[in-house]
Amino acid sequence: MRINRTKSKHLFALLITIAMMGSLSLEAKAYTLPYDTYNYDYRNDIVFTPAAYIPEKSITATGLNTSGLVDENGEEIQLNAFSNPQDLCVAPDGSVYVADTGNNRIVVLDHTLKKCLNIITSFDHEGTVDTFNAPNGVCVSENNQLYIADTMNKRVVVLELTGDLIKIVENPQSEILEDNFSFAPLKVTVDYADRIYCIAQNVFEGLMVFENTGEFTGYFGTIKVDISLFEKFWRKISTKEQRSRQALFIPTTFTGIDVDSDGFIYASNLDSLNGVQAVRRLNPKGEDVIKKGIKKNVGGDLWIIGNSKYSGPSEMTDVVYRDKGMYSLLDRKRGRVFTYDHEGNLLYIFGGLGTQAGTFKAPVAIEILEDKIIVLDSLRAEILTFSPTEYGNLINDAVALRFDGDETLAEEKWLRVLELDENNELANSGIGKALLTKGDYKNAMKYLKLGMNREYYSIAFKRYRNEMLEGNMNLILSVLLVLIVVYAVVKRRRDKKRGKVKEGGLL
Amino acid sequence: MGNFFSKDKWKYAFYTVSHPVDAYYEIRHRNRGSVPIAVFLVMLFSFCFSMNRMMASFVVNDIDPRSVDSFTELGGVLLLYFLFCVGNWSITCLMGGEGRLKDIAIAIGYAAIPLILSFVPATLISQVIAADEETFYGLILFIGITWAVIMALIGIMQVHNYTLGKTLLTLVLTFVAVLIIIFIGLLIADLINQVYGFFYSIYTELIFRT
Repeated sequence: MRINRTKSKHLFALLITIAMMGSLSLEAKAYTLPYDTYNYDYRNDIVFTPAAYIPEKSITATGLNTSGLVDENGEEIQLNAFSNPQDLCVAPDGSVYVADTGNNRIVVLDHTLKKCLNIITSFDHEGTVDTFNAPNGVCVSENNQLYIADTMNKRVVVLELTGDLIKIVENPQSEILEDNFSFAPLKVTVDYADRIYCIAQNVFEGLMVFENTGEFTGYFGTIKVDISLFEKFWRKISTKEQRSRQALFIPTTFTGIDVDSDGFIYASNLDSLNGVQAVRRLNPKGEDVIKKGIKKNVGGDLWIIGNSKYSGPSEMTDVVYRDKGMYSLLDRKRGRVFTYDHEGNLLYIFGGLGTQAGTFKAPVAIEILEDKIIVLDSLRAEILTFSPTEYGNLINDAVALRFDGDETLAEEKWLRVLELDENNELANSGIGKALLTKGDYKNAMKYLKLGMNREYYSIAFKRYRNEMLEGNMNLILSVLLVLIVVYAVVKRRRDKKRGKVKEGGLL
Repeated sequence: MGNFFSKDKWKYAFYTVSHPVDAYYEIRHRNRGSVPIAVFLVMLFSFCFSMNRMMASFVVNDIDPRSVDSFTELGGVLLLYFLFCVGNWSITCLMGGEGRLKDIAIAIGYAAIPLILSFVPATLISQVIAADEETFYGLILFIGITWAVIMALIGIMQVHNYTLGKTLLTLVLTFVAVLIIIFIGLLIADLINQVYGFFYSIYTELIFRT
């Protein structure tokens, strides 16, 4: 009996161990990501955070369902793989347009990214069949017109979504252009007034803007060159010959553009010098109005020193404007996606380079499809999709509420964020602000301090101090009075001892 | 250490704060100062300095408390104090200064009193001010530091019986001297290291041969 009992005990223990191991390995599997997710705290230290987005799937052209697509001879089309695709765009109806540059075609996918809706390889150009040559950029406007940056044909082609030609923008004429200017558009975007903003090859003056008539109106959002005093001095003392051999001070070029609903242009650029600003928000006058946040930095990674291949400033290749003032930047140097809010706070970072599923080799374009982030990888010839986790969704929702001006409503969400990520400064300062509006100044101070929000902490502190003073005025005055009396009495006694007291007055 | 506990010397240290010109003269010529008290004041200042960096309110303080190590800072402050005294002494010896090393140490050490008297209240006041009242905090620190600089300047002047111009000149030269001392110190440290390495390799060689 006794032996039996111990045996059964052992068996039980074994079973528990196995069960625990099973659950452990399951858990480990659920959290194994092919990349690190982290953020930078107030002191610019790296803090690891839960993942805001996790890889969902990758879509290749060959894996798409092409049923219903027929070519001119009525035969079913077999879609071959993407070849060096360079851009993708989500249309207002949710379908995805991919500029399949190497195959000279535009592939249209439905919003589930499972079915191929259309393949645009040619269009009817005044009676003749015209084709594309290395289309690098694609964009669908709010009015459902398809804009294609047909790079090697040196034009922007505008089509109906059905494939009928609307207009062709080519050969811009202007005094400010050089005589032998060759227009090679790379990326294109369109605002609500059908103005075309275009990044062109070897153009350093900014974005090229075309009216809806196709007329070139000028450059937009020129990036200024910063020349340090030392460089100026060096140029001054060098001879003409030396100067001609020195590198030119050329502004960085834009790499990707997007437009928000108000017509502001978001344009990413390579800030190869110090990685401080990799994105610009251009108002209709072409001025940069981006908010850079407390760190004065919207350039991606902060830890960039070193000489290895993996160090150096992030190289943003594309930007996507998301809802409620948020935007995401795609870094091709380390394959990361940085998301900022409208105040320039870095919300979360995810993604990485590699060969595993869910990592990039050469990311080129980023878009938002419903709640997912989709990234086009030119070397993998795949579209990678990332779905938000609870953590990511909470941050997105809370930031959206703040953008709308109801940050107090976001308190619950921020509290849940804190459960997932204890040291999240945005969450702490969000809760602090909510408590401040409620009038709970003491707790507001605690949270605002954890959130390193000096400005609001000071406001909370001031109100807390006034509250304390008002509440305890009687006590403070009484103590003061008692102290004065005690002082007077003690002084009188001491003076008496020394025998120099004046008769009469107390003081 | 005897005069460290002398009530008279302590009183005189505070008299120096209010009457630096007279007091420093007396310190030089009538031995009213005390080196242990001066060193203690410098150590106390170092402590108040670390305390301020660590404890000043979040509103005025941007320093990461994790980066503050009061022992390292004490070492740094004492080293700077020592280097300055020795540097100043070696320069003034050549430039007709009347002060002894002892007097210089006292002159600089007593100048730490206004620093202590401003860092502590500033730290306390920082606990009850909001962001737009930062000026008070800054003002207290500013007054304390300015007073300390003036005291040190007068101290050096009186102790050596210099004019102001000559004092400033010796201060610049003191800075150079400190740099030279540091340079030589590093050089010697490296040399000793090399010699040690040489004997150590001989030792290992002998061990392996036998």
